[in-house]
Amino acid sequence: MHCPLHRISPVVKGSPLLTNEVVFENHNRNHTCRKNQLTVASSRIVSVVTLAVLFLPKPISAQTDPGVQSGSRGTGAPFSSVSLNSPSGILSFFTDGQTRFQAVESVSGSPSGNNGLGPRFNSTSCSSCHAQPAVGGSGAASNPQAQFTSNGVAPGNTTPSFVTPTGPTLEARFPFFFNSNGTVNFNAPNGGVEDLFTVNGRSDAGSCSLPQPSFSAAISAGNIIFRIPTPTFGTGLMELLDDSTLLNNQLNNLNNYLGVGGSFNRNGNDGTITRFGWKAQNKSLHIFAGEAYNVEMGISNLLFPQDRPLPGEDQLQTGLPSNCLNLSGTGYPEDTSNPAATPNAAVLDDVSAFANFMRLLAPPPTGGVVLNGQQVSSSNISAGASLFNSIGCAVCHNPSPGTTQVSNFTSSLTSAPVNAYSDIEVHHMGSGLADNVSQGNAGGDQFRTAPLWGLGQRIFLLHDGRTTNLVTAIKNHASHGSEATVVEQNFFNLNSTQQQQILDFLRSL
Amino acid sequence: MNLRFLVPVVYALSSIAAAQTVAPVNAPKNGGDFSSNASGAKVPTGVILVKGAWSSASDSTTPVPEGGTMRDNLYANDYFGISYPMPAGWTEIYEGPPPSESGRYVLAQLSPTETTKGTHGIVLITAQDMFFDPQPAANALELVTYSRDHLQADYKVEIPPSTTKVADRPFTFFAYWSPVAQLHWYVLATEIRCHAVEIVLSSQDTKLLEHLVVDMDHMNLPAEANPSAGTGGGQFPICIKDYATDENLITRVDPVFAQRRFNPVPVRIIIDKTGSVKHIHLLSAFPDQAKVVTDALRQWKFKPYMQGGKPVEVETGILFGSPQFPARLKSSASAVE
Repeated sequence: MHCPLHRISPVVKGSPLLTNEVVFENHNRNHTCRKNQLTVASSRIVSVVTLAVLFLPKPISAQTDPGVQSGSRGTGAPFSSVSLNSPSGILSFFTDGQTRFQAVESVSGSPSGNNGLGPRFNSTSCSSCHAQPAVGGSGAASNPQAQFTSNGVAPGNTTPSFVTPTGPTLEARFPFFFNSNGTVNFNAPNGGVEDLFTVNGRSDAGSCSLPQPSFSAAISAGNIIFRIPTPTFGTGLMELLDDSTLLNNQLNNLNNYLGVGGSFNRNGNDGTITRFGWKAQNKSLHIFAGEAYNVEMGISNLLFPQDRPLPGEDQLQTGLPSNCLNLSGTGYPEDTSNPAATPNAAVLDDVSAFANFMRLLAPPPTGGVVLNGQQVSSSNISAGASLFNSIGCAVCHNPSPGTTQVSNFTSSLTSAPVNAYSDIEVHHMGSGLADNVSQGNAGGDQFRTAPLWGLGQRIFLLHDGRTTNLVTAIKNHASHGSEATVVEQNFFNLNSTQQQQILDFLRSL
Repeated sequence: MNLRFLVPVVYALSSIAAAQTVAPVNAPKNGGDFSSNASGAKVPTGVILVKGAWSSASDSTTPVPEGGTMRDNLYANDYFGISYPMPAGWTEIYEGPPPSESGRYVLAQLSPTETTKGTHGIVLITAQDMFFDPQPAANALELVTYSRDHLQADYKVEIPPSTTKVADRPFTFFAYWSPVAQLHWYVLATEIRCHAVEIVLSSQDTKLLEHLVVDMDHMNLPAEANPSAGTGGGQFPICIKDYATDENLITRVDPVFAQRRFNPVPVRIIIDKTGSVKHIHLLSAFPDQAKVVTDALRQWKFKPYMQGGKPVEVETGILFGSPQFPARLKSSASAVE
């Protein structure tokens, strides 16, 4: 007779019973109902619920990504101590950095400080890529790159086929170099950014005329991958976690029963943990800003003082031609400090101003979620938060990897919780997500756990923006060689209501 | 009129016209970032070609922990001497990740295929190399106890670690669950060749879990499998922790890494009866590191390990590179942070 209220203690056939020994029974045997002496009281009640759930038909409606949440959550604001100008001068650091973040750069001829673009670039201002839902964020719904060949930014160029008006703002990389006969050289990993545009045809670029990389050939050869912008809200907090905090988290997760086993990316100079970028390859916000200024906009600076050729131009050929150097006429590096400038903030070079701006950006506030025109209840969102932890997402997407150290910069950064939903480790994400680009210690299949704060207002998902649908993004977590397969299966093994609660919760972040 | 003559003229005129608009510079030479004709082999999708630190071995025939296979419903692992028949319809949809730098393996992740009726569940077969585990556990039993003591707040112990018998071998059994997700985990752990082999069954359906446990009786396991004493011998080399000390070594050549990467490089070796290194298994190493370590280890010479007056094969572990956690956790240490 079936006994819905009791868990039967199973028994192994023929084995002797010892004290404290758990035994398991062939469930086909007839058995009388009896209490399981090891059953915890609360699980009896849950057994009823569990059985009830088993016998109910599963809800038919599929789980739905509530989508990008509109309406302002106040994202993009500075920390409160910055708003209060504490310490004195810090607010102008923030506002000056925010202004420069939006400045559109030219090759030459613009007011001082706004020159140096190119000769190769992906866009002309930081905020053209880091825009959503506010300045400092990730890619916007409308891709400015799609207009460049027709609006004067990149007149002598062809728009690559993968740059579309409503697709993600992106950069492209070739996993491998091409051979001298045009075929892919599998023995020569590349992986560096292949800038989309050149200054060709711009009236402020003199005689410099460079070919764009061979995007069509790369596409036909399958030798191309993409990256979208990472959002920068709250990165100042991530920068201020001590290595020991991150290492302790890793230690605490060592014997997880989910298949997770991450490691850290480290910088080659001093071996300490690096944190920023899709593969956590950059050590600090200064490096992150300096590299982007140089690689994505072609503006040499104090951290990267040379104009950057394409990877092949640099490593296999003779670099940039001389008529493409010093196009702004200011000399190198094109972005530098301004000793005579006033007020104080203006003395800084652009990269420092960008880094300060990002560092002082408060983390993205959480918010309500609207699904199909209806407000999702806060109880559903908190149920989703609990489920997110229980099924194992939180092992990598750690809701709070720690608390920051004391800040020498501003008090809001001191001893602050970092609710980033990331362990800042790199993990094997499988053949489905692998992009065959190695960065630092992160191999072609390893990626930093993407911080999920701000996810509610992010449009394009995963490192290459391949989807705007959260359910698809979760599915992509499972593939051959991924550490996340078990947790992904845990998600899809939940019933539709539970899955929906997790999706609702994620869009509240 | 000779039309054929007109065509090249027309063509030439149109080319001149095109050149008067701002056109991209002359076609680039092939090579590097450029290709005018990318024929030949394409980069395959869904294949990991460029790897960071990965596992490798000095030969492809000696079994390694990650070398298990799932075929015809049978999970077989020659390194551990395990064969584990799965219920009908259970497969490994996706292979697991490579071994971690702390010696953690995902040997198999099995679940019912879409077409199999019944509720959902996962069988995760994992192993932890006890030579490289910084947690304070000397064997599988202690490891499970340590896990139970450090269970995260979302989980509740359902059945505390205790002994059970599966397939006529002792196992440590531990069950915990998430009340929120109604998800249960049954962990069955034993030790083989100084690895904690933990078979993790998880599902919302406890009936399924109990059925899976009963099915585990059909497993074949080596005689030595034991939660507190799986230290080789019999069909396997004896595994000895930290065997590569000056006391046991006659010749030692240190590998020199050309490039600092600050990663741990855990390695297992099998030493034959003459004291030579007969097999090298690198759990996690960059390719250049793997070569340097292998070349060095091939030159090592040990004193043969004697047991009952006879030399026997020994398996041990050596950590090269930077230790991730230099000091092992003390078991009495309070929860960190």
